[in-house]
Amino acid sequence: MTSQAISLPDESRATLLAGSLIPGLLGYFLLPRPEAGQLAVPLLSFFVVLPMLVSFLMIVAPGKSYRWLGLAVSALTVGMSIRLFGFYGQAPAGFQFTEQVPWLSNLGINYIVAVDGISVLMVILTSVIYFTGTVTSWNMEPRGKEFFVLFNLLVGGVFGVFVSLDLFFFFMFYELAVLPMYLLIGIWGSGPKEYAAMKLTLYLLAGSAFMLVAFIAMYFGSAVHTFDLRVLMDPVRTAFSFGFQKFWFPFLFVGFGVIGALWPLHTWSPDGHSSAPTSVSMLHAGVLMKLGGFGIIRVALPCMPDGARYWLPLFALLTIVNILYGSIAALKQTDLKFVTAYSSVSHCGYVLFGICTMDKIGINGAVMQMFSHGIMTALFFCMIGFIYGRTHTRDIPKLGGLLAVFPLVGSLYIATGMASVGLPGMSGFVAEFMILVGAYQSGYQHNFGYFKILFPMAILAVGVTAIYVLRVLQNVFYGPVKDPHYKGLPQARFIEYFPMALLMGVILMVGLYPKPFVDLVNTAVGPLIDHVGGFK
Amino acid sequence: MIATAAFSVELILLGTSLLVLGWDLFLKEGSKKDILYILAFLGTGAATLLVYDRCPWSTGTAFAGFLVTDSLALFGKGIILIATLYTLAMLVRYLKKAGERYAAEFIGILLIASAGATALASSREIITLYISLETLTISSYLLASFAKKDAASNEAGMKYLLLGAFSTALLLFGFSYLYGLTGTTMIEEMASRLRLMPPGPLGVFAVILVVAGLAFKIALVPFHMWAPDVYEGAPTPVTAYLSVASKTAGFMAFIQLFVLGLTVPGLEEVWMGLFGVLAVLTMAVGNLAAIPQTNIKRMMAFSSVGQAGYIILGILAADKLGITAVLYYLFLYAFTNFGIFYSIQLVSHKTGNDLIEDYAGLSRRQPLIAATFLVCLLSLAGVPPLAGFTGKWYLFSAAVQRGYVILVFFGILFSVVSLYYYLQVIRKAYITEPKDASEIPVHPMEKAILLFSIVMTVVLGAFPGAFMRLAEAAASTFPALN
Repeated sequence: MTSQAISLPDESRATLLAGSLIPGLLGYFLLPRPEAGQLAVPLLSFFVVLPMLVSFLMIVAPGKSYRWLGLAVSALTVGMSIRLFGFYGQAPAGFQFTEQVPWLSNLGINYIVAVDGISVLMVILTSVIYFTGTVTSWNMEPRGKEFFVLFNLLVGGVFGVFVSLDLFFFFMFYELAVLPMYLLIGIWGSGPKEYAAMKLTLYLLAGSAFMLVAFIAMYFGSAVHTFDLRVLMDPVRTAFSFGFQKFWFPFLFVGFGVIGALWPLHTWSPDGHSSAPTSVSMLHAGVLMKLGGFGIIRVALPCMPDGARYWLPLFALLTIVNILYGSIAALKQTDLKFVTAYSSVSHCGYVLFGICTMDKIGINGAVMQMFSHGIMTALFFCMIGFIYGRTHTRDIPKLGGLLAVFPLVGSLYIATGMASVGLPGMSGFVAEFMILVGAYQSGYQHNFGYFKILFPMAILAVGVTAIYVLRVLQNVFYGPVKDPHYKGLPQARFIEYFPMALLMGVILMVGLYPKPFVDLVNTAVGPLIDHVGGFK
Repeated sequence: MIATAAFSVELILLGTSLLVLGWDLFLKEGSKKDILYILAFLGTGAATLLVYDRCPWSTGTAFAGFLVTDSLALFGKGIILIATLYTLAMLVRYLKKAGERYAAEFIGILLIASAGATALASSREIITLYISLETLTISSYLLASFAKKDAASNEAGMKYLLLGAFSTALLLFGFSYLYGLTGTTMIEEMASRLRLMPPGPLGVFAVILVVAGLAFKIALVPFHMWAPDVYEGAPTPVTAYLSVASKTAGFMAFIQLFVLGLTVPGLEEVWMGLFGVLAVLTMAVGNLAAIPQTNIKRMMAFSSVGQAGYIILGILAADKLGITAVLYYLFLYAFTNFGIFYSIQLVSHKTGNDLIEDYAGLSRRQPLIAATFLVCLLSLAGVPPLAGFTGKWYLFSAAVQRGYVILVFFGILFSVVSLYYYLQVIRKAYITEPKDASEIPVHPMEKAILLFSIVMTVVLGAFPGAFMRLAEAAASTFPALN
């Protein structure tokens, strides 16, 4: 099913470009400028509602027009998110563009959305993956319409998590982002798809069970009964006791950790990613796994700083296992998708490790890693999908010399591999470097001896990463062409390399000039750490 | 005139029942019986209108406080009437297929059962409560065994009768002790007298008996043994009716008897402790036993056992938030469960059985039925933004507030477990290829009903405000809870 029928007619470049550029530019230019931190339009709600709305429209859309709807809306969100970035920088840091609607007053539930620097970056990430994923699944058959409907519904949920400031809605959007995955993998996946889909769903929902209990406990444990995160972050108003934080922090960390692929709860991830169809892998590894790290930064750290200080040293150890285990497991895989999936486990370990340092630079690095890994891994899956579509295998021993067969995709793959290793000039370098600096600072400057031991272990993993990446590159792309019939395979068409090129552009942009992005993240992380405090 | 307002709903239902039975006498043998359905719909509809707004014709007190119809009772009656309407709609299809010879009796008994259930919602006195409950259950025995020539249906009715009679005996035994202790049968009066008394073993014994007797009615583990067989064997409309109306009535009895009458120091610890244990057992057994089922009605039986386990958490909280949560959950449960059972009946009329296997490729055979399963089953699993999620959020909130964190943790855990078997049905419907790809015919009217269930399940989840306020107003009836 993943094999894209090559005989399908290709949309012309012009129509595709027009179909994405026009809505993208509209999204960018039509938005009115904000006044005093407030927008005249509910921009953040647009991000949540538009994909969901369009998924309902698709049900009744005639013929193949649903694809154009998806393309237009995803391009629109890209334009809007870039614009949001611009708007955000104009006002002082903190939560901006707040929208608030009372929803269930007797339980203190309100629909509250707002963004800070971290969410802006995550919204950009989501919209980019959303757009490239839509293009990648252009010729998804059979049952393409249902695929697009579920895909868009899922994206709406993801956007919702990144902008919600109310725990009830946060949770609601989280589940909405997880559940369509079951059908997306179960119907359109490959290999043991039904097993993988069920495993993924149950793991993630079991994780959310931990979250949910903790959320309700926070509601009743706080002096003011509310789900409003802005209030819950305020220690004066919530007055969570140390005992309370000590008890509930692990629930939050583990709950979010499941989707962030925290070892040993990560096993759903390789199965899920390798069984999922290309664009779903892109979205899942690219964005959904980031919900874990995001949730910890957004909910767990600011609401329970004392609990964090108590528990994070222990969890840091788990994340180190994550990093090492993921990279070592990637060494032994023979399926390209499994290599990338385990590499994701390792890279997501860096995200969680960065958070565990409780250091400004470390957490900045963690957020940058979320972004960088999201783009990078989406690109990987996109290219693997392409290779599989042509050669009908993902088995590394059967592949070889593909650089000669597909010069463009091969070069892109090698470049992405370099980003994965952390080559300077690529986004991965910036992120991992910052995380390591953060760990160093926690270890040496704050004289927290424990991180002195963990820090070199994290560096060790960088070496292992180099080994498995280079092994894949060598076996798959260099050397003689293994199978003679590979030689006649058609090159990538525009619709196939367009998303790849776009993602590669983002990797290079962030790698070569990370300053605006780091500044953006720092507007949120700086105040966060000032509020939380590091290790003492 | 003062008196009748408190039981106007019951009067209308009983009147309609007699009218249907009487009218049938004048119909020629073998003639069409459409008029009976119309009469039943009109009567039940009229009764539902009385509940809709708190109009003076349906609130009040009768028989010196034996029956009190306040907003709490009306809320319960509303749910039961909605269930009755749904059941009637399902009956039309069932009887057209199975033969209409005994249509009048079927409808008549159904309406009598509903009259019992609605009266139960108003009962503030234990004898009245008992009579209402028996009106409901004895009618249910008949309904469950209505497919006379079907062995499974007969078995269902017989099993239900034997176990039901036993549990009724336990309940009455418990009531006799309560009366003996307090010298009154009025529930509120009983509570105030019990408060003045030193707690003793007799009271505890009575509470245990009452818990056991009532636990049977809502199929709490270990009193759930009848449920799978009865659910499987009974005609599908009756199964649906039992799972919603009978359960709602049971919970209304719980609210009145325990929350109103037995929140007494020395006794409340006993029943709350018992309920705590029963809740965990019920959630565990219900959800785990549902996993290996191959028959969807049997699966839904265990599912509904599990659901009762969640709802008990709200009764345990025994405060305004808890009762609001219980009422709201019962309300949404009506739409969700009937959506499912309606779909089950539609499918089984085509395939001739209730095997989950035969749901393969349902999304291509009839997308609307598949969508109903998708939305309603996920709602039962507690997936946002569907009704079951908001309902559970309330139930769990109420329980956490009273400190039942462990119970809530189990509740959420078993919600995840339940997702597994609900997803099995969805997997069949959406992922598996159909063996027989022929379309399943659905009448436009039935499509509207399915769509209505879907819409209600989404609305009650995503926009609960208005209905939640109703439930809250109903729960505010007891001054003791505020």
